[in-house]
Amino acid sequence: MIKTIPLEDAIGSKLAHDVTEIRPGEFKGPAFRKGHTVCNEDVCHLQRLGKNHLYLIDLEDDEIHENEAAAIQAKALAGDGIIWEDNPKEGKINLYAEKDGMFVVNTTALAAFNMVEEVMCATLHTNTLVKKGGLVAATRAIPLIMKRAPIERAAAVARQNGTVFSVHLLRHAKVGLVITGNEIYQNLIEDRFAPVLTEKVSALGSKVCALKFVPDDAEIISQAIRSHLGNGCDLILLTGGMSVDPDDVTRQGIRKAGAHELHYGASALPGAMFLVAYLGDVPLLGVPGCGLYHQITVLDLVLPRILAGEKIGKKELAFLGHGGLCLDCPTCRFPACPFGKTA
Amino acid sequence: MQDFETLLKGSAEAHGHLCPGQVVGVRMAMLGCSLIGLNEPSSHDQIKKLIVYVEMDRCAADAVAHVSGVKLGRRSLKFMDYGIMAATFVNLETDSAIRVLSTEDARDLAPLYAPEIAGKYQQQLIAYKLMPDSVLFKVQKVLVAISEFDLPGPTRRKVSCQRCGQMVRDSREVIIDNHVLCKPCAKGAYYTNAREITWPNMNWSPVSDFRAKKQQQNIPIALEEPSTSNRLGQQGTKSHRETLL
Repeated sequence: MIKTIPLEDAIGSKLAHDVTEIRPGEFKGPAFRKGHTVCNEDVCHLQRLGKNHLYLIDLEDDEIHENEAAAIQAKALAGDGIIWEDNPKEGKINLYAEKDGMFVVNTTALAAFNMVEEVMCATLHTNTLVKKGGLVAATRAIPLIMKRAPIERAAAVARQNGTVFSVHLLRHAKVGLVITGNEIYQNLIEDRFAPVLTEKVSALGSKVCALKFVPDDAEIISQAIRSHLGNGCDLILLTGGMSVDPDDVTRQGIRKAGAHELHYGASALPGAMFLVAYLGDVPLLGVPGCGLYHQITVLDLVLPRILAGEKIGKKELAFLGHGGLCLDCPTCRFPACPFGKTA
Repeated sequence: MQDFETLLKGSAEAHGHLCPGQVVGVRMAMLGCSLIGLNEPSSHDQIKKLIVYVEMDRCAADAVAHVSGVKLGRRSLKFMDYGIMAATFVNLETDSAIRVLSTEDARDLAPLYAPEIAGKYQQQLIAYKLMPDSVLFKVQKVLVAISEFDLPGPTRRKVSCQRCGQMVRDSREVIIDNHVLCKPCAKGAYYTNAREITWPNMNWSPVSDFRAKKQQQNIPIALEEPSTSNRLGQQGTKSHRETLL
């Protein structure tokens, strides 16, 4: 139960919630914390903050304060690799990455959680690479006090598949590169794919352990794949030969090598002719020629997810479509841009 | 209780088609019955302990009735015309009562739970199977005061309407100005302009059909014991049948 009292009668009362102060461009935060005992000196300050009345709260047995609610919510939402301080400020708890990795959100569970009227949670986009200590989410209860049952239902909704979000470590892959193309194999032009891919792989904490240049010959491509597997590579990137010309035989080479699952085509631009295949547990990624021209392509969306342990199949490639259009800006700001923000 | 898929199959057959409402209704009844401790609601020892109030006359209502085994004619199924997708499950033995409400959120969330399914109907059908109870339902603990006149069992009171003479059972009569009236006379009915009519073949009865058939075949009617017995039902006696024929 909430009772409203005039400020002048509130001397000696404990504040029922944090009182926020906003000084434009200078400060936003709690001027007074919940539980603070109001004294004569506070009156002017509170009046400057527009407070002429204060709440006195007397919780019923089935009611809950926003701070306790936020704590319940944070515990239910957060999974592995998420940390937070159990000290809500202004009824809100911020959640942070405990480690570098891929921030993954169960967007369905998050939506279902937020459909419970009394609660909210806002997060970064799913599949965002985050650094240790970075803010990834925040949650709070909407009312100052509320019934306990909706909060516990929201917590149950959040736990429907374990947790709503977590940070996944990227594995350190041993990457094998297969650079296809007669023009490169025959030294007609210089390869530029290997350095580009090596840099991308290294930036994600993995290492290129083997490199082969091969002609547009399906049998030789398959042998190169087999060779990399034999040398312990657990992720293989192939470039070139992914298009529609008669010389584009990389797909056949991947099939010949024994790939049991192959998905050709991704709903992202640049990168429509991207390929994902699996040979045993080893992913094979076919990178189309756009990877040479464009700084950021579908590979930058899929590779981190693969390293985070996600199985990428037809559905995942199709669902890239919403948000999968790169604007090819003169100054690329990826990942701080809409590209790849699919949910 | 049978597993969900078995209950859904049976419910869809009884209802006439499989639809999202069947999924919601089956799950609503499974949850409601389990929360009041009647996990085998159709079993002999539990069937008389359960009363269910359904608040909608939609597909889900049939599913709730199918799973819980309640029936209108047995007075274990009560229809409250609220237009709300909800049902309350009452354990008469313990007096515990649980009201299960289908959330509107579930409709909005269906595309997220089954994004790969095209078509709203099929998408809801699949999504409602995938959603946890916490998303599909809100649950309330409620008190239900059940009048003795609403309980299963024999008719507890019968009075005649002082205006139309119709017999009114189970205390459904209305007293106005010290006059006992049926509800249609007291408050008006869902029908109007009621007038008695006659119709062709007014004297038909199952027994009259039987008699005509046997007369056509020139068979003495009184000797057809088994067939006559079936038509008249188990409670008919021979002397009573002969009287009828």
